[in-house]
Amino acid sequence: MDLIFTNLVNGLMLGALYAIVSVGLTLVFGIVKVINFAHGEFLMVAMFLVFFATAYFGVHPYVTLVVVLPLIFGLGMLVQRVLIEPLQDSDEHIMIFATVGLSIAMINLMLMLFGPDIYSTPSSGLRTVVDMGPAMFLTGQLNILIAAIALVGGIHLFLTRTQLGRAIRATGQNRAAAQLMGINVSWVYMVTFGIGVSCVGLAAVLIAPLYPTSPEVGQYFVLLSFVVVVMGGLGSISGALLAAMIIGIVDAFAGFYLGANVKDLVVFGIFLLVLIFRPQGLFGGARNMSHVS
Amino acid sequence: MTMQKKLARALLPAAFAVAASTSVISTASADEVKFGALYPLSGPLALLGEESFRGLEIAVEEINANGGVQGMQIVLEGGDAVDQNQAIGEARRLISRENVEAIFGTYASSRSIAASQVTELAGVPYFELGAVAHEITNRGFENMYRTNPTARHMARTHIDMILEAVAPALGRDAADLRIGIIHEDSNYGSSVASFQELYGEEAGLNIVMVEGYPATNVDMSSIVLRLRERDVDIVMQTSYQDDSILFLRQANERGFEPSAIIGGGGGYSMMPTAEAVGFDVIEGVLNADFTQYAVNEGFAVGVDEFVEAYRAKYGSDPRSGHSLNNYAGAKIVLEALDQVEGFTPETIREALMAVDIPAGTTAVGYGAKFAENGQNDAAFMMGMQWRDGELITVYPPDAAVADLEL
Repeated sequence: MDLIFTNLVNGLMLGALYAIVSVGLTLVFGIVKVINFAHGEFLMVAMFLVFFATAYFGVHPYVTLVVVLPLIFGLGMLVQRVLIEPLQDSDEHIMIFATVGLSIAMINLMLMLFGPDIYSTPSSGLRTVVDMGPAMFLTGQLNILIAAIALVGGIHLFLTRTQLGRAIRATGQNRAAAQLMGINVSWVYMVTFGIGVSCVGLAAVLIAPLYPTSPEVGQYFVLLSFVVVVMGGLGSISGALLAAMIIGIVDAFAGFYLGANVKDLVVFGIFLLVLIFRPQGLFGGARNMSHVS
Repeated sequence: MTMQKKLARALLPAAFAVAASTSVISTASADEVKFGALYPLSGPLALLGEESFRGLEIAVEEINANGGVQGMQIVLEGGDAVDQNQAIGEARRLISRENVEAIFGTYASSRSIAASQVTELAGVPYFELGAVAHEITNRGFENMYRTNPTARHMARTHIDMILEAVAPALGRDAADLRIGIIHEDSNYGSSVASFQELYGEEAGLNIVMVEGYPATNVDMSSIVLRLRERDVDIVMQTSYQDDSILFLRQANERGFEPSAIIGGGGGYSMMPTAEAVGFDVIEGVLNADFTQYAVNEGFAVGVDEFVEAYRAKYGSDPRSGHSLNNYAGAKIVLEALDQVEGFTPETIREALMAVDIPAGTTAVGYGAKFAENGQNDAAFMMGMQWRDGELITVYPPDAAVADLEL
């Protein structure tokens, strides 16, 4: 019984980690209709920003959010404006190549600037162990869980209750109609991409004190966040949260009972089953996935 | 876009390529001999690739200052093995355009395996000074030589260290210790782990768990739990850097305290690893790796002079033991080549096969004697321990600067 509880807690913490990285990815996909393969690299860049801001200003890593968020939001808008927008009406494959190219360019730019070394952001007490009998976790992990739930709730409120949020959803549903209603579609895409990337900005602030930063770090998180996004239903934000939790828990239990070398088999096996029997994802409804309409 | 602009865009990269390639052409004159130096000098492996190259450079400078090989000054022609494809391309360039007599390299096993296929076909000798994959010298190649210890030697040192130093330090019979092997699941980790299993079983050790995991894992708590559930006394982990840090941190935070943790190379040897997990956490952790600098100078003869030469040339301390091992390996090869005449593959083979250097006489401590497959069978890895924020050699006793303590 103890072991089940331990693994459950481990799984929830891991799921929260996947969730907080995946939310921005699914938002960008749902609205801008771009599969952003450079998503992990935005996380990496943001983690570097956290590291340098922490080192430079000597502040708690969480405080760097005030610097990291605007910077990464601006970077996201810039990428949308100069890279994605000119390709918006071209073939989907071109956009995939563009974001894959961006990912490779970002990794190698950081390698050129900072080398392949790791940079450890001070843990600032966030690695303090919370001991709940059989289950143990770090305060930093608990914060990620809380933040992931708050982020999903916050984005939901933003999309449903604000004028800009409604404009974003309208653009996501039908770009042409939204434009006819007087929505500046180009602007909405830039803001959405910026928000999507800002989600990993938030994730970076929470993750940097727990994981060393290196140019390759984005790659560690991004594969499973694609699984999460597709499993949750492309574009479904609450679906991503639930899928992340499922994957986290499956990962923890399979890792313990079957072994680390088998756990990916289980995770991806479940993923394949979802794709076969529910290709729209666990929580995805019928969606307009065309980026031209 | 106008036609001219289009044309300019298309031609610009080509123009750069031509400019770049003409600038590096150097010709060997009559009293010079040219060798290729193939390392990853850009990309993710650049740091230790460059560190390895520096060792070769220092060896060449030292030998040139003493008259060169066969009375000729050595000229190194660099090649950047940033990935497997480029390793192949650069090996071709070095052979056909630069006409090198042989190639030295490579630090990364995958690059070495790729590039040496080209050299073998062309009949050009390849001297590997730093890559550890077992198969490099086990493909039936005739012109492949390797001076450094391999994955197999790493496992040998792990097991010998448990038998001869760890068990006595714990005051326990080695056969009673419960041993867990965890490893990243690429070729590197898997190959070391399979030799650990082999040698461990031969020695009658009680291996209770062998488990691979992907190196990009972001959570190892389930592995830590499994090790704890099996009451593992000694954990051996063969890993890269991020997974070393992850395991050491999570084991510590979850209160898993085995009697000994023994790492394999890479991540466990690096100061940033110790800084990331904390010196108090890494204190006492063991490791098997290439010879490093906190080593008995009476056994690693010339290590101090190497560090001095390194400082004089690069203005800093060596960043890892890779430069030292490339330096010592290059010296073994180049000094052997000085004993024969000419650089044909046959004379090079003859020269290498005649090498017989005892342990305790080189800057890395290990000796040199090449087997038929080209592997230096006298090579071995050192056992090291993190003590007071430093990684010091504790095994074998001849090379140790302190006793292994647990």
